[in-house]
Amino acid sequence: MTANPGSASAPLLEVEHLVKYFAVREVQGLTMVRNTVKAVDDVTFTLAQGETLGLVGESGCGKSTVSRCLTRLETPTSGAIRYKGRDIATLPEKQLRPLRREIQMIFQDPYSSLNPRQTVGAILSTPLRVHGLAKGKEKARSQELLELVGLNPEHINRYPSEFSGGQRQRIGIARALAVEPKLIIADEPVSALDVSVQAQVMNLLSRLRSELGLSFIFIAHDLGVIRHFCDRVAVMYLGKIVELGNKQHIYGTPQHPYTQALLSAAPDINVVRGIPPKERIRLVGDPPSPISPPSGCRFRTRCWKAQEICATQEPPLEDKPGGGDDDVPGTGDEHVIACHFPEIKSTLVAEVTR
Amino acid sequence: MSAQPVPPQDSAAHDVAAASAPERNVVTEAPAGEVVLKITDLCVRFPSDEGPVNAVQDLTYEARLGRTLAIVGESGSGKSVSSMAVLGLHNPKRSTITGSILLDGNEIVGADESLLRRLRSNTAAMIFQDPLSALHPFYKVGSQIAEAYLAHNSVSKDIAAKRAVEMLELVGIPNPARRAKQYPHEFSGGMRQRAMIALGLVNNPKLLIADEPTTALDVTVQAQILDLVKDLQREFGSAVILITHDLGVVAEVSDDILVMYAGRAVERGLAKEVLARPQHPYTHALLQSLPSASEDSDQLQTIKGSPPSLVHLPSGCSFHPRCMVKDRVPGDPCATLLPELRVSSPGRQIRCHLTNPESVLDQEVVS
Repeated sequence: MTANPGSASAPLLEVEHLVKYFAVREVQGLTMVRNTVKAVDDVTFTLAQGETLGLVGESGCGKSTVSRCLTRLETPTSGAIRYKGRDIATLPEKQLRPLRREIQMIFQDPYSSLNPRQTVGAILSTPLRVHGLAKGKEKARSQELLELVGLNPEHINRYPSEFSGGQRQRIGIARALAVEPKLIIADEPVSALDVSVQAQVMNLLSRLRSELGLSFIFIAHDLGVIRHFCDRVAVMYLGKIVELGNKQHIYGTPQHPYTQALLSAAPDINVVRGIPPKERIRLVGDPPSPISPPSGCRFRTRCWKAQEICATQEPPLEDKPGGGDDDVPGTGDEHVIACHFPEIKSTLVAEVTR
Repeated sequence: MSAQPVPPQDSAAHDVAAASAPERNVVTEAPAGEVVLKITDLCVRFPSDEGPVNAVQDLTYEARLGRTLAIVGESGSGKSVSSMAVLGLHNPKRSTITGSILLDGNEIVGADESLLRRLRSNTAAMIFQDPLSALHPFYKVGSQIAEAYLAHNSVSKDIAAKRAVEMLELVGIPNPARRAKQYPHEFSGGMRQRAMIALGLVNNPKLLIADEPTTALDVTVQAQILDLVKDLQREFGSAVILITHDLGVVAEVSDDILVMYAGRAVERGLAKEVLARPQHPYTHALLQSLPSASEDSDQLQTIKGSPPSLVHLPSGCSFHPRCMVKDRVPGDPCATLLPELRVSSPGRQIRCHLTNPESVLDQEVVS
């Protein structure tokens, strides 16, 4: 669909051992207790030029925190974020400015992410002005952007309230594209939209990706959306990546029990069409709190395969032999799993024969 | 509304509203279970600065014991508004409701508060999307459930408290006696929704309305809750109305389906059949536009435009400005004439001018 993920060029983005803790204060009985929410705990991945990486997981797994660290809306507690080889994890704001032009974000809620008192023209020309782009031609450029995302350029003097949810999300996309970024971080860009509008925005993003050669970090909880849009997928659970691979690995031969449970739980359109999967997995209970995650493997409290070793030793994220996928490490095509007892299951999604 | 559409499975339970309607189609498969809820020609209108909002129009359906009816639609399609009317939850001063809602033989439209109070929880109960705002934050979960039981049963407080613990156990909450003494904020999202279900079922209602019960939950927890609803329905034999926008959820749990668009029903039938072979262009397009987790897709099919304003509905068929097959209807009636909800094949009703929807929509996939 896009650039070959196995290309040998240097990665656009390298994230190494990214950690983000938040300090929280909680009332316990009559005392105030200081706690730490381990939102992101040692996350490592790379993104090649022109590639799309999907981050998927349930609420509280840290996928949004990762995205906010990448755009430096949050400063990571530790770890490195190398963009084009340069570590931006702790850069001061002044030096970050020029990079903000290259890394842009699309937000989930098209209602709260646009200023209701600004016209579309003002919303789109602000980033241009900040970065000193298209001087004197801001209006023409804004109209060009509106046209690019499929809106009427004559609507430049309208306010966000005059647009529908899908149209507002297009404005948010146009704003991100205004400064000609290389990398887009999209945090649940379609999940607030109605089903009939969701597909329009997905197709728009696909078109822009190939026309402008963009790279994407794409966050979603909908496995169908991720499969449609992404080259590689990282599955997160309680602040850690538990499985990472290209989408054939993740959807075809998932090995981590959590990935398998996630695939099994998601109601899929082929079930809708009357092709049920051969096997179902149902997890018990809810995800534990990221304030006091379980020892060892964080998934063990809900895992049906958990044994003693799972409580004592944290499984590293590594390539598992016998996976059936002949992947060469370092090509960006590896399939890594953090589990002591990985096992391929390919019976969880509907088998579609066409 | 001269020609009144007849529900496809209207055989056993004849009531006042159905008796006047002409029997237009032969029953193919008579589902077991008495009709608990029968809605006929329901219209709900709210005043607004721009003019009346036609939230629900000409809605007719029924719910039967032991069956799950899914009401599907996008935001603003009228699915929640219509089911809130079943429990008389609309303020009569700020809404105009016409038509008939027969809940277990009682007319809800225009009913006084004392009758509604007697029916709520006892005959029909509702589960809401966000259990944190639906449960009272200042009262213990157990006492909220016990209160609902006490309101309809003359028993002692101790018995009601025991009943609350029983209900929590029934919905799969571990350590129910301790949990009953906790407050809603001490529960996780999935546990809260279980407590909500316990509260809904405490008086063993004949009808349970679940309004987007899993939308706020994670997928792995959603799967648990859907399983629970299925199990409990089998045990209690009640009728369930499931309101959702998620067609995957419908496929998992529903027997029947009603698809709504812009306040009107556009397709009705058995869930399996409708989802496998939709006949209304809207249902068809909706299914086509969903990305799948089990196969790769290049370009998603889209529905152009966005849902219409309920104040200024399009003339004729509300879906015609977005319809991809409207030029396939001879005579071009779509923009001017509102189609009736009619029987298109056994057990299926659609609101569309197409006479041969399946063959037209099949060609649409290929092109």
